[in-house]
Amino acid sequence: MPTLIHRAEYGQYDFGPEHPFAPGRLAVLLDLIRCLGHSVAPVAAPAATREEILSVHDEALVAMVEALDHGDTRPEAERYGLDTADNPVFPGMDLAARWLVGGTLHGARLLLAGTETRVLQLGGGLHHAQKDRAAGFCLYNDLAVAIQAFLDQGWRVAYLDIDLHHGDGVQNLFYGHDRVLTISLHETGHYLYPGTGHIQELGAGPARGLSVNVPFEPFTEGEGYLEAFEEVVPRALEQFAPHVLVIQAGADAHFADPLGDLGLTTQTFQTLYRRILELAAEHAKGRTLFTLGGGYEPQVVARVWAILYFTLMELPLPTDLPEEWLGRWQHLLGPEVGRTLHDQVPAFPEIPGRGERTRRNRDVVARLLDSLLRYWL
Amino acid sequence: MLVKEIMRKPVTVASVGTTLGEADQLLHSRGFRHLPVVDQGKLVGILTDRDIRFATSSLFHTPLHEGDLVTLAMSAHPLTADPLDPVEDAARIMRENKIGCLPVLDGGELVGILTGMDLLDALMTLTGVNQPSSRLEVTLRDQPGELARLTAFLGARHINIHSILTYPTPDSTVRTVLRVGSNQIRHLADDLRAAEFTVLWPLPMSSHLNPAGPR
Repeated sequence: MPTLIHRAEYGQYDFGPEHPFAPGRLAVLLDLIRCLGHSVAPVAAPAATREEILSVHDEALVAMVEALDHGDTRPEAERYGLDTADNPVFPGMDLAARWLVGGTLHGARLLLAGTETRVLQLGGGLHHAQKDRAAGFCLYNDLAVAIQAFLDQGWRVAYLDIDLHHGDGVQNLFYGHDRVLTISLHETGHYLYPGTGHIQELGAGPARGLSVNVPFEPFTEGEGYLEAFEEVVPRALEQFAPHVLVIQAGADAHFADPLGDLGLTTQTFQTLYRRILELAAEHAKGRTLFTLGGGYEPQVVARVWAILYFTLMELPLPTDLPEEWLGRWQHLLGPEVGRTLHDQVPAFPEIPGRGERTRRNRDVVARLLDSLLRYWL
Repeated sequence: MLVKEIMRKPVTVASVGTTLGEADQLLHSRGFRHLPVVDQGKLVGILTDRDIRFATSSLFHTPLHEGDLVTLAMSAHPLTADPLDPVEDAARIMRENKIGCLPVLDGGELVGILTGMDLLDALMTLTGVNQPSSRLEVTLRDQPGELARLTAFLGARHINIHSILTYPTPDSTVRTVLRVGSNQIRHLADDLRAAEFTVLWPLPMSSHLNPAGPR
């Protein structure tokens, strides 16, 4: 039985009522799983220590987070990506972030100890945090701290990022490291935050060819997404032969997410999760560490991540949403929620320009593979 | 943005007594393509890797050899820039003369060098793509105060602007492309529309939940 990691303190990671990265999303998710008849009994992991944060971050960033946390006024905070619209200051932010990092790190330790092969951290996934600055709702990079823990034990780590946004923080932190493969699939950075994740970002020095980016045209749908995934991800994992797969399972590539423009459905996500588990079995002895990530429409993330939970637990997928849950969270779910765990088929009217998008996405994948094959020989 | 902000310094140079072989070695080992040549500290020419290859090629009228002096292959009296020149003027000089670099002189002293690569770095800085950011594209009326209204709107929401580029459109509006330091620009775009701005990207929230809407 896979291990679930979560604790109530994750709710302290809260940038305020107007902010999209709202902890309420997790409460809605946990309650949905419960109402579907599964008593969630997660492991409560300790908070990461300051030293553990410093395994990937600069001391200056941590000191700045601590100072702002204590209520100090620091005009230079913006240089650290703090006190901004995306990362406003809130009391307790240092510890709140360390709870999330601690959960992901704990998952890594369970895998390292061999006590577990499949871990789902119900939180975290703060992939934008950089060595020296917070960014895009992410204070500390829990994924990078976990990856560093694997590296310290000599493991090779494949990082797979299916969030809508490019996983820039993780990519940059290990850009020259030859024991980390980073793969990010995302909406193209030509328009969307953070503006990176282009196919030419291939890694540096001994890690050339170990940074893989698959940027998609806005309004790319599930079929095109999965086609590109199949072209790139299995080959990358095969040639790299990792000990473990770390997956940032953001749900904001769903068509109804308010922050982006990709067109994935719950069915796409289910296929994706199953494929990731198959690939992990094939290339990493089944070892996976899943975290959550972006995803800003409560009714969407609850359904998508409940499907993640059922898939990882290898439980049959329920069809209908429970009445009790629909009633309790009506105020957050809105009118779009429907009655079923999966999206309707079709989920939305046909989007014009599919042919052109498909052609461009295929071109991008072909160019990416053309560059990568040179390093994969 | 001034030349002195983006030029390379200190400058690696050859002297008039340097041989082509030595200069070639230097360019290769440092990964440069342009080598200023100085005589007692004064700039007298520029030698490029291409100059060396051509001058030592059998296609040259009297092919030179590695022991020959750099002065035989360099371009003498190169065009130069001043540290206080705006980068756009330096770019224009390089483009109009089809040259790859400008030595930077201050009172006759060689203080830096500007290459095409440095101008690309400047372009990235000017467009803000070297920072985590989102692209916001707005059409403004071509009249006083419009840009101020836009930036005040962002300022009030505590959103940092990494760059603003504007250019005129055929229908007499001003296309404005901003890179802003926020991940939440769809909400911002909706607010801008409510304040009667014409936002080209991102598309409205409603078109998103129903992506069949206008592109």
